[in-house]
Amino acid sequence: MKNPAIIGASIPRLDARQKVTGQALYTDDLTMPGMLHGAILRSPLPHARIKRIDVSKAKALAGVKDVITGQDTPQVKFGNWRLVPQSQDELPLAVDKVRFIGDEVAAVAALDKETALRAVALIEVEYEELPGYFNVEDATAEGAGLIHAESEGNVSLARKIKYGDLEAGFAQADYVREDTFRVHAVSHAYLEPCSSLAAPDEGGRVTLWTSTQVPYIVQCLLASTLGLPENHVRVIKLNTGGGFGGKMELRKWEFCAAFMALRTGRPVKFTLSRADELAFGRRRHGMTIRSKVGFSKNGLLLAKDFDVLLDGGAYNSMGPTATFLCGNFGAMLYRYPAYRYLGRHVYTNKPPAGAMRGFGAPQALFAAETQMNMAAHDLGIDPIDLRLMNAMETGDEIPEVATISSCGFKESLVKVREMSGWDVKRQEKRPGYGIGVGCYSFISGGVFNWFNTKYNFASAEVRVFEDGTAHLLTMATDIGQGSDTVLRQILAAELGIGVEKIRLTASDTAITPKADLGTWGSRVTLMAGNAVRQAAQKIKEMLIPVVFGHFDLNQIHDIAFEGDRVFSKARPDKGFGFGECVYKALKGRRGEPLTAFGAYTPRNKGLVSPAFSFGAQVAEVEVDRQTGLIQVKKMYTAHDCGVPINKMAVEGQLEGSIHMGLGYALMEDFVMKDGRTLNTTFLDYKIATALDMPPSESVEIDTYEPEGPFGAKEAGEGLVSPTAPAIAEAVFHATGYRCADLPITPPKVLQGLGRLKA
Amino acid sequence: MATPHFTVHQPATLEEALDLLGRHRASVKLLAGGTDLIMKLRAGATSADHLVSLNRVGGLNRINYQDEDGLVLGAGARISDVAAHPEVRKHYPALAHACSVMATTQIRNMGTVAGNLANAAPSADTAAPLLAYRGSVVLVERGGRRQVKLEEFFKGPGLTVLEPMEILEAIRVPVPPNRAGSCYLRLSARSQVDIAAVGVAGFLALDLDGCMMGVRLALASVAPTPVRCPEAEALLEGQRPDPQLLARAAVACVRAARPIDDVRATANYRRAMVQVLAGRVLQKSLAMAQGGAQ
Repeated sequence: MKNPAIIGASIPRLDARQKVTGQALYTDDLTMPGMLHGAILRSPLPHARIKRIDVSKAKALAGVKDVITGQDTPQVKFGNWRLVPQSQDELPLAVDKVRFIGDEVAAVAALDKETALRAVALIEVEYEELPGYFNVEDATAEGAGLIHAESEGNVSLARKIKYGDLEAGFAQADYVREDTFRVHAVSHAYLEPCSSLAAPDEGGRVTLWTSTQVPYIVQCLLASTLGLPENHVRVIKLNTGGGFGGKMELRKWEFCAAFMALRTGRPVKFTLSRADELAFGRRRHGMTIRSKVGFSKNGLLLAKDFDVLLDGGAYNSMGPTATFLCGNFGAMLYRYPAYRYLGRHVYTNKPPAGAMRGFGAPQALFAAETQMNMAAHDLGIDPIDLRLMNAMETGDEIPEVATISSCGFKESLVKVREMSGWDVKRQEKRPGYGIGVGCYSFISGGVFNWFNTKYNFASAEVRVFEDGTAHLLTMATDIGQGSDTVLRQILAAELGIGVEKIRLTASDTAITPKADLGTWGSRVTLMAGNAVRQAAQKIKEMLIPVVFGHFDLNQIHDIAFEGDRVFSKARPDKGFGFGECVYKALKGRRGEPLTAFGAYTPRNKGLVSPAFSFGAQVAEVEVDRQTGLIQVKKMYTAHDCGVPINKMAVEGQLEGSIHMGLGYALMEDFVMKDGRTLNTTFLDYKIATALDMPPSESVEIDTYEPEGPFGAKEAGEGLVSPTAPAIAEAVFHATGYRCADLPITPPKVLQGLGRLKA
Repeated sequence: MATPHFTVHQPATLEEALDLLGRHRASVKLLAGGTDLIMKLRAGATSADHLVSLNRVGGLNRINYQDEDGLVLGAGARISDVAAHPEVRKHYPALAHACSVMATTQIRNMGTVAGNLANAAPSADTAAPLLAYRGSVVLVERGGRRQVKLEEFFKGPGLTVLEPMEILEAIRVPVPPNRAGSCYLRLSARSQVDIAAVGVAGFLALDLDGCMMGVRLALASVAPTPVRCPEAEALLEGQRPDPQLLARAAVACVRAARPIDDVRATANYRRAMVQVLAGRVLQKSLAMAQGGAQ
């Protein structure tokens, strides 16, 4: 039932005009009568005990309406992994200890921002400094002090995976190599810094407008930290300027805004600065990855041992999921007869690492794909051939984890080889020129219920009206990826009406149906899409009898919903306009509105995800062998995202992924000294600009994912993973320098070429 | 970040501007574009109750080239206008290039070359080519004007010889001789839209015998101020160009650099890049002087 005018069309974002003309409202645009402005006091030390806090001077400052410290709060720990309560290791404000430079210690609400900032500077805190641990090696060394008393040697959690006979696999292998890779932390660098506004509501209730990826999770955790029933907390997301995983938890200023709004009876707003975001915000996990892999002499993979230390920073944040997924992506893409994974999530005195686009996959795949390229080189096999020999296929099983229900990986490899001119260019000997390949797989949403929700993972409510329009209500959260448009396309395709006929209400926890776990793990199109389809199908069940009854159709007829009409497929003249059909149904129901609820929860889909995307990418580079500067000349991508619902949105995701992958590979890096971030502006934290973007060609492999709406699966995250290993391989091809520790900077290239002393 | 409060004055004449400076001498700064100053005020890195803008001072945005006097850039001349000016592109290509690749489009449209010099960042992109072209600055205060060679203008990061009540009125650059070549190259982590981690500018001319004369080399981002490379210049002056000599001069440039490790690059890498860029600058300048491609 695919309608090509809607499914697979390039429909511009329905909110694009509002955004580019500046009319779209973001949280910081809101202002309310009597609104107070919040500011946060953060720890200046990486690791210290709090001996004493004196807020009297701050409270005495004219214009200050409230000052809170941890002692004033209910002191309920929180964290996204509600299923494992001992993993919930954060308090809304520090009570006994601070664990990183930037840890939230106190908050002020005042009549204006300047007064709030002045008051924060007047708060006196006496600290007893403790030794700081700034890397996983120091934090896990014998005798290291504990950052959290409950952890074992600063390891907050460990995840193991094991299948097949590892020893036998390595014993059988003709070629075994072991490498250590180091990948660094990077920033989400979303365009909209975090902002939250809370207002008290009648009956001790509170409403929070906030820039978030997860309104439902924020609602639940805010309620538990405030000690309120969930239904007392209403969370509303307005336009959100990106998140990339950085906005998928309850954040401390969300708590402070709500808590102080309830205390003062006035609205309270917090908005972070870019410097706050870069200095104290969440990041992608840095990791130390030791990987041992064995092949037969003709290139068949036999065994892999993958050992990972994740640098988690001061709190768990989304680290448990990253640890879990990193192990999964250490052995994706290829058939591994035997695999062992040990991932340990380590506390350090740095800003916490959280979820970030790819969620453990970019790190795992940089190591795995680079090692694949190293092996291809040693074995004398073309890197694409080596991959084709070992590639997963539709129907493959990952033991105890998942069955791959659709897989266009081999087709992607073949296609990217052809479109990039790989076979000719790989032989090219021009100095400084190189071409390399990297691949990816990713999940289409998670199966594992770590949030321990009692509700469905995704839900939708559809209402239809006699004027031929519809109203879609969903908690699915558009943070810029375009789900508000894509979900309307899915509904439009089902009901056979135009997307412009659909009003959307999204991401308001008091109005939209429970629940939706939010935007992360590339889950929205598949999960919320399925929920929308189910609701739409229920609406259709209400309308179909009207056509049969009115036209006295034989029951063998099939009813079509197309072009704003409902009619018999065989006798298109037997039917009504969509609105007229709703009108007739409404009459038959004696005025009861046509409303339907749809939901999706993955069941019997293993442990990880209902569906996996695949793809291959080729990078061409030119390296200046005297300066070490790398120019990416062109990117080629062939990928399998199932049936794309909106081609333009998929292309946008691909371009955004290349942009982010390019920064990850070549220039983004936090410069840190003793736990302090030194580059806190976009001048010195270097994300690629539009002018750095290479030209790009892409092809979508034609597959159909049975579990996805209209055959769709993920397109938003996986693509961020292949870029770094592809560029690293191209740099190796150009120079002979093999990067095993991102980013690939000019000095590293020159050192690799023996032209610069370390 | 709290918003700083200040009063902006928009005088129409230089006299008025000097009056305003005097009147508010307790807390005043000059504004000539503001792309550095406003950021510093916002970050609390500097403060002033009064800003005296040079934007509307008559005639101050002039870009004037004459075959006898050379180039005059008024204090209000925008970086993007200098980059696009046909005479600047023809006679001072290294300056035009610096003005077209530094910072961002928006900053180039607002910022001024005078502001770039007066801000005295070690990384100032226009400083190195202006040093190579023997530029000087005209400073005016109540009671008189003085002309200072650019190499004597910078005193340290953010520091110049400008007196508190003095205005940088204009930049003057002499006419380059015939058969001259010049070039500015810079390096940064991002290919564009970035601050330079290393910059090298060079100028040379050829006499009738084909010997190099008037050689000037200048470096940015590798010392507390933009600096010249006297040793390398002396090595080349009066000599016939040959590749080995140019390479030796490039090595000599490294000895003029006093780089530090910072978030943008290590001192080690900066030193190595001074040599690489100086070598390329000399080759390109020579090719241009010899009548090759610019």
